[in-house]
Amino acid sequence: MKLKLATVIVFITMFTARICAGGFQINEHSARAMAMGGAFTAVANDPSAVYFNAAGLTQIEGTHFLFGSTLIAPVSSFRGVTPNVTEYDMKRQYFPPVHFWASHRISDRFAVGIGFTTPFGLGTEWNDNWVGKYLAIKTDLQTYTISPVVAAKITDQISLSAGFVYSFANVTIVQKSAQTPFPGDAKTTLDGKDNSAFGYTLGLLVKPTPKLSLGVSFHSSIQYEFKGTATTVGAPQLDAAGRLPQGDVTAKLKTPINLAFGIAYDVSSVLKLSADFQYVGWSSYDTLGVDFTDPKYTDIASPRLYDNSFIVRLGGEYKLTDLLKVGAGIYFDKNPVKPEYLNPSLPDANRLGFSVGLDYKLFENLGVSASYLFIRASQLTVTNSQEHYTEGNAPFNGTYNSYAHLAAISLSYSL
Amino acid sequence: MKKKLNIILGLLLTAAVFFGCQDRSELAGVNPQVPLSGNVDVSNYVSIGNSLTAGYQSSALYQSAQQYSYPNLIAKQGGYGGFAQPLISDPGIGGRIKIVSLDPFVTATDPSSGVPLALTYGAPYDNLGIPGVVLGDVMNSTTTSGSYSKSPFIDIILRGQGTQWQQTKVQQPSLITLWIGNNDVLGFATSGGAKPSAPTPSATFGFLYGQLADSLAATGAKVVVANIPNVTAIPFFTTVGPGFAQMLIAAGAQGFYYQDHNFVPTAGAPAQLSGGQLLLTLVSQSYIAYFGRPSGKFYKDNNLNPALFGVDTTKPFGASLQNPIPNALILDAGEISTANQATTDFNTAITNAVTKYPSQFALVDVNSLFNSIRASDATGGTTYNGVKFTTTFVTGGLFSLDGVHPTAQGQAIVANEFLKVINDKFGSSYPLIDVSAIPGSLTLAKKGAINLFEKGAYLDPNAYKNILF
Repeated sequence: MKLKLATVIVFITMFTARICAGGFQINEHSARAMAMGGAFTAVANDPSAVYFNAAGLTQIEGTHFLFGSTLIAPVSSFRGVTPNVTEYDMKRQYFPPVHFWASHRISDRFAVGIGFTTPFGLGTEWNDNWVGKYLAIKTDLQTYTISPVVAAKITDQISLSAGFVYSFANVTIVQKSAQTPFPGDAKTTLDGKDNSAFGYTLGLLVKPTPKLSLGVSFHSSIQYEFKGTATTVGAPQLDAAGRLPQGDVTAKLKTPINLAFGIAYDVSSVLKLSADFQYVGWSSYDTLGVDFTDPKYTDIASPRLYDNSFIVRLGGEYKLTDLLKVGAGIYFDKNPVKPEYLNPSLPDANRLGFSVGLDYKLFENLGVSASYLFIRASQLTVTNSQEHYTEGNAPFNGTYNSYAHLAAISLSYSL
Repeated sequence: MKKKLNIILGLLLTAAVFFGCQDRSELAGVNPQVPLSGNVDVSNYVSIGNSLTAGYQSSALYQSAQQYSYPNLIAKQGGYGGFAQPLISDPGIGGRIKIVSLDPFVTATDPSSGVPLALTYGAPYDNLGIPGVVLGDVMNSTTTSGSYSKSPFIDIILRGQGTQWQQTKVQQPSLITLWIGNNDVLGFATSGGAKPSAPTPSATFGFLYGQLADSLAATGAKVVVANIPNVTAIPFFTTVGPGFAQMLIAAGAQGFYYQDHNFVPTAGAPAQLSGGQLLLTLVSQSYIAYFGRPSGKFYKDNNLNPALFGVDTTKPFGASLQNPIPNALILDAGEISTANQATTDFNTAITNAVTKYPSQFALVDVNSLFNSIRASDATGGTTYNGVKFTTTFVTGGLFSLDGVHPTAQGQAIVANEFLKVINDKFGSSYPLIDVSAIPGSLTLAKKGAINLFEKGAYLDPNAYKNILF
C-alpha cells in the first residue's frame, strides 16, 4: 500500500511539473458538459450535443432548448524581464460568452438542431506602460458561430451527424511603438471584422451495448479574413510624413480543427463515467499577419508557429435523486505555444482543469445546471524567447503564471 | 482502514496537484553588489567631463536625457541607483533642437526651457560633467564669468562651491571617470575654424592634462579616462557636404566657391565634398539652399558687414568669387588637418597619463571605437543587441539631433565600453547594458531616409550655432 501511495505521488509530481501553457479556444458550451470536465463527446444527450457531438441528438426525444452563459475570469502575471523579477499583472477582465442550443427529433431516425456559441475568444489587456507594451497592450478576439445540424440513426447502434457552421468574428489589437526622438510612444489600434466565414462539423455515436457509448466529433477549421482599419496616434511630425500606420488593413486567421474521441459508460444506474481525447490542430496558427492596404506601410508578420495539441478529459455524473444530478471532472490541456514564441497577448501554458457542478430539474419541463471550473496553468519560465520587447533583439524572457475561474449556468426547457 | 487510506491518498493527490503548480514560486533577482564589484565601488563614483559626460542631447541638457548619461548608466549597472546628477526639467536648458517636420525635414529650437531641479542638493554632484567646458576649466574655473569657456552651465552645476577638481576631491571617490578635451578641439572645428581660430595648443593641453592626472592619482581613486574621438567624422560635418555635392552634380554645376581658413575665396569641386576634403557644418544647410542666388542671409543673421570680407551679396551665393560660402560654414583641408593633428596630440597626452599610473589608471579608447563604427557605415552599420547603428545624421541612431552628441543608445554604447574596461582592469563583473532596451530607437523615423536638400528642408542655423560640447 505504501508503495502504491509513493507511486501516485511520483506520478502526480511528474504530471504537474509539466503543467505550464493553452490557445484561444473556448471549450465551455454548457454548464452540464463543463461540470463533467468537458468529456461529453460520447455522452451528448442534451441539446448542447449540437456542439459536442450532434450524432447524439438522435438519443433525445421531443424538442428541447438550452440557454446559458459561462462567466470566465482569467488571471495572469508576468515576472521579468530576466534578470529582473518585477511582477506585472494582466488587467482583470470578465467575459460572459453565451450559448444557445435547440434540438428536435423529427422521427426515430432523424433529428435536427441549431445553436449559437463562441468557440474561440481571447481577451487580454496589460497596463499601457508596462514593460511589454511594444508586444501587446490589448488583444480582443471573439468568434461567434451559428450551426444548424442534422443527425440520422443509421442502425440501432450507429448515429451520424453533419452540420454547417456560419461564423462572424471581430478582433482588436492595441500595441505601442517607440518613436524617439519624439517623446512618448506611438499607439496603434487595429480593429477588424469578418461577417461571413464558414465551416462544418461531423459526428458519430456508436452504442455497442446499452451501457456503453463511443463518440467521434469533428470541427473543421474556419478561415477568417478580417477587414478593418488601423489607427495610430503619435507625433504629428511622423504622421504628417506618413510614418504612422493608418488606414485599411486585412488579416487572416485560421482556427484549428478539432477531432474528439469519447467513451462513456454507465457504471450503474446512477453513475456515468466518460473520457475524451481531443486533438486540436493548432499548427494552423503559424503567423499573426496584418496587411496594410496602403503599400507605404510595412506589413506585420509575427510568427506564432503553434504546435498541434491535445486535451485529455475525464468526467463523471452521479444521480443523487430523480431530480438532482451532480457532476465532476478533470482535464489536462497541453500548451500549443512554443515557449520561444509565447507572447503576452496570450499567456499560455499547460493547463489543468477541475470542475464540479449540478443539474436540477425544477419542473417537469424546466431544468437548471450550474457548474464551476478552475483552470490552473502551470508556471512557465521562458528562457529562449524570440519575442523582442525592444527594437533590437532583447528577448522577452520571464515567468508567466495564469489561472482562471469559470462559472456556468444553463437553463433547459423542453416542449 | 482501507477507506481511511483512500481519504489520505485523495487529500495528498489534491494537495500535490495544487502545490505542484504553485502560482508564485520565488524567483531570484539580481543581487546588485556582492559578487560583482571587484576592486571598485560605484556607490562612491564621480565623473568629470563636458557635455558628453553630462548627458547633453540635441543641443540641450534635460532630465530625460541626463538619466541616460553614461556615468549614470555605469552606476546603475553597478547596482547603485543614487548617482547624483544636476537634473534640469524638460525641455532643458540650451535650446533643444526638435523636429518640426520629417518630410520635408525641418528642425527648430524649442522656445521654452526647463529649470534646474537639484540646485539645493546638499553635496557636490556625482556627475560633474559640465557642457561646454575645456580642459583648462577643470582645475581653474568656479564660475561662468571667470572661466575659459564661459559655459553658462558652470554656475548651474558647480554652484560656487569650487572647481570640478575640488568638488571631486572632497567626495573622496573610489572611482573617477574622466572624459575631457573634446571642446579643446571641437569648438574650433564646429565654428568652421573661425571662433576660436585654433585648438588649444598641444603643449598647453599636455601640461594641463598631466597636472590633472597627477592630482587625480593623488586621491588614490581608480581612474578611468576616455580619449577624444575624431571630431571631423561626426554627422555635424559629414551630412551637408555629400548632399550638396549631389545637388551640384545634378544641376550640372562644375563647382562652387568658398572662403578658405584665411578667408581667401577659393574654388571647390563636388568630389572634394563627397570625398571629405571639404566639410560643411550642419549650420550651412539653410544657407546652401540659397546656392546660385544672390544672398546675404549669412551676414544678416550674424550681424556682419559683408564688405569687410570683400563680399558682394548681390552676386550668386556660393557660385561667385565675390560671394563665396563663408569660412565659418566650412572646414577646408588645412583646418581638417589642424583638427586631426590636435586630436592626435591630445590623445597622446591622455595615453601618457594612463601609462604613468599603470595600476591606477585605465583607458577607454573611444577614438578607436568611433573609427570602427564609422568604418562600418559603408558595410551597413554596426549592430549592438540587434539594433543597427551608423553615424548617419538622425537616422543612424547614434547621434542626437545636434549631430554631435550621442543619443541615449549612443550613451549606452559608450557606457558599455567603460564597463568593459572597468571589469577588465579592476576585477569587477558588472553586466553590460542591453542597448536595445534603452530608448533611442528611431523605429518610425527610420522607415525613410532624411533628405536635407528637398524643397522646404530647413535646419534652423541658430539651433546648431549654439551647441555646447
